[in-house]
Amino acid sequence: MDNFIKKIIINHGHISYLCLTVLLFLIPASILSQETVSKDNCLNCHLILDGKFKQPAVLFSSDIHFKKGITCSACHGGDSKSDDQDKAMNKAAGFIGIPHGQQVLKICSKCHANEFNNFVKSVHGQSNTGNGTIINNCVTCHGIHNIVPVKSPSSKVNGLNIVKTCTGCHSNASYMRTYNPGISVDQLEKYKTSVHGQRIFNGDSKVANCASCHGNHDIKNVKDPQSRVYVTNVPSTCNKCHGDANYMKEYNIPTDQYEKYKSSVHGIALLEKGDKNAPSCNKCHGDHGAAPPEVESITKVCGTCHALNEQMFQESPHKDAFQKKNIHDCAACHSNHGISKTSDEMIGNGEKSFCIKCHANQDKGIQVAITMKSYIDSLLKEVNLASYLINKAEQKGMDVSDAKFDSNDIKKVLITTRNVIHYSNLEKFTGSINEGFNITNKAKITGEESIKDYYVRRIGLGVSTILITIICVALYFKLRKIEKKRT
Amino acid sequence: MSIFSKLYHKIDERFQINDLISFMKKKEVPLYRGTIWYYFGGITLLLFIIQVVTGILLLLYYKGSADIAFESVQFISAKVKFGWLIRSIHSWSANLMVLAAFIHMFSVFFTKAYRKPRELSWYSGFILLVLAMGFGFTGYLLPWNELSLFATKVGTDITKTIPFVGEYIMNILRGGEEVTGATLSRFFGFHVALLPGIFIFFLAAHLIFIQRQGMAAPEDWDEMSDKKKINIPFFPNFMMRDLLIWLIIINVLSILAVFFPWELGKKAEELAPAPAGIKPEWYFLFMFQTLKLIPAKLSVIDGEVFGVMMFGLAGLFWFLIPFWDRKTPRGKKWYWINYLGIFVIIFILVFTIIGFIT
Repeated sequence: MDNFIKKIIINHGHISYLCLTVLLFLIPASILSQETVSKDNCLNCHLILDGKFKQPAVLFSSDIHFKKGITCSACHGGDSKSDDQDKAMNKAAGFIGIPHGQQVLKICSKCHANEFNNFVKSVHGQSNTGNGTIINNCVTCHGIHNIVPVKSPSSKVNGLNIVKTCTGCHSNASYMRTYNPGISVDQLEKYKTSVHGQRIFNGDSKVANCASCHGNHDIKNVKDPQSRVYVTNVPSTCNKCHGDANYMKEYNIPTDQYEKYKSSVHGIALLEKGDKNAPSCNKCHGDHGAAPPEVESITKVCGTCHALNEQMFQESPHKDAFQKKNIHDCAACHSNHGISKTSDEMIGNGEKSFCIKCHANQDKGIQVAITMKSYIDSLLKEVNLASYLINKAEQKGMDVSDAKFDSNDIKKVLITTRNVIHYSNLEKFTGSINEGFNITNKAKITGEESIKDYYVRRIGLGVSTILITIICVALYFKLRKIEKKRT
Repeated sequence: MSIFSKLYHKIDERFQINDLISFMKKKEVPLYRGTIWYYFGGITLLLFIIQVVTGILLLLYYKGSADIAFESVQFISAKVKFGWLIRSIHSWSANLMVLAAFIHMFSVFFTKAYRKPRELSWYSGFILLVLAMGFGFTGYLLPWNELSLFATKVGTDITKTIPFVGEYIMNILRGGEEVTGATLSRFFGFHVALLPGIFIFFLAAHLIFIQRQGMAAPEDWDEMSDKKKINIPFFPNFMMRDLLIWLIIINVLSILAVFFPWELGKKAEELAPAPAGIKPEWYFLFMFQTLKLIPAKLSVIDGEVFGVMMFGLAGLFWFLIPFWDRKTPRGKKWYWINYLGIFVIIFILVFTIIGFIT
């Protein structure tokens, strides 16, 4: 029947449209709704065409735009009301045929102005092929004639489908190489291993998909400070879901990570001091492959930055003991999200000590910890004394710049020594801290000698002043005598 | 005969020391309320001698190269035995020498001691003061610290404003267009070789003139009655008075050096931005401050050029006082000269104070 109608259109021109319209009224409602026929003549005709001419019309009948009463001419131009093909598809009357690139954006922006404004400022809106042609536009993600509401399960940008839509380009190495050779293309593979990915592929649309973190129309380059996934914005982006107790209720995980992180050493470094090397959520959990680090991997995760500490811990007797007891290596003493600044109180057998969590009061381990703590305390006392002497000498105007410069090494030694604690080995610890004692002793001697020198100078000055004054007085009397004699 | 008398006799036999002593004994110095001003020449000389001695000692360790000049001064202050004292005395005596020279100059000015027949003493003394300021200017850069680098930049920049030859002179002083390590080497050379050579020549002339002509008597000396005219022999009376004051000065100098050691500051970095509070040495401050206050443009001439020219002319005018003061040598009182001197002192004091507090 389609071929029959087509023949009529082609052979009898616009006269035949009248007959065709009448005929179409007779077509059963299962093929075309009466509404369609009455409003959009483009659709009416294309529905009865074949192949590539028909397909858009068929798809469009389920499109949200069609359902909202938007005709083909809204995007393609021309006159949808005209039953005359020449008039309906007259370029002089504004018919543009298939819109490309910027044309698509222009057309969509007529109604979706906000989305358009966000898109043109986004990384996608600003990427082009090099000759000015944009590499993607609205239809790249939303489809062409079968656009459905985002919430609809068949939408290309629905939570469950968006990963596939994004990875359509982003997992295509040869495609991505053309436009952004530096970007990785393994996001999907990583995502599949993440908790988010595993849940989403099991139909959980609540978990994070690409748009949850990157945004949608306004996606910015990760290096752009406005990007939701810019290093300093990552914690608040993750916190949108992970800090929402109601939203996370069914997952039964804590929702105070952000609050803890904010006041942690890492959070303060990143969010307050702006140190972009400080870790945000993704540095430890991964980004596309986000998952909580396991007992076996936690040392590796922390060791990414704290490599030396990791190496020391791996060689320590704690490594095996922690594994056996299923204790989260670094997190056992330092916590996870709320890592606070370390203090010397963390070792030994004091109230704030972490050692006493596992060690009994008299066991060998606690004795080592107590010895380490006492060494550190003594060194700190010596450092304070040395610094007091150096400052006192300096206040007296003595040059102690060399001693001050050498004393800077004490900080280095203290940092090293505090790190060496991770070995949990007294021999290695004393080897390191003794260097500190040597430097401090040298500084103390310099300080004491400078102060002594200060008094020697004063005494020297006093003696020379007295001597000169005596000579002055003697001279004065001699002069008086001479001048008296003369008068 | 004691061993000292024998030794003296042997030296006198060869060098006729007795002749010299009898010459000095015959030489007399007027004793009146203005006699105190006579000591400032001697004080300046003492401080110059201290400069020479401490300068030679500093030379044993100082390195005149931009890479290590600062470190060498640091080494002198921190490591060399009594290095801190030598350096501090050198710096303090340099400043006190310029101060004593200024006082000496003004005392000569107000007592009109420049009048005939002592014109050459005035001219040579004025040249010595300018050379002493040159010593100060070149020596200020030698520790190669931040303040001295930028003060030298500002100071040498001023020479650029001298019409026609300014830029040429600036390049000669700097050893290039900018103040660099080349400037340091050059200033070191000026400070320890060129300036001392010239200075010694004028100093010798100045001292010979004084020895030949004696101390200038006050203006109204001839009109005074013989009873009031008191003279003391140069040797031993005046020399002992001089010695007494020298010892007091040495005492003051050592107290200053011990209680207020000269700071070294931060090492100069040629590419670093200028720090706040760049000021030249205090004896250049009145000129620096005046140049700062002159508007950038005065009619057709640049303010700075005008200022430099005015200071140049004023200096020349001051230098030539014996030439244009024709009244004083004829025994006439010319109070305008005193007013001019008071104006100059007030001007220097006011602008130096403004320079310090701003």
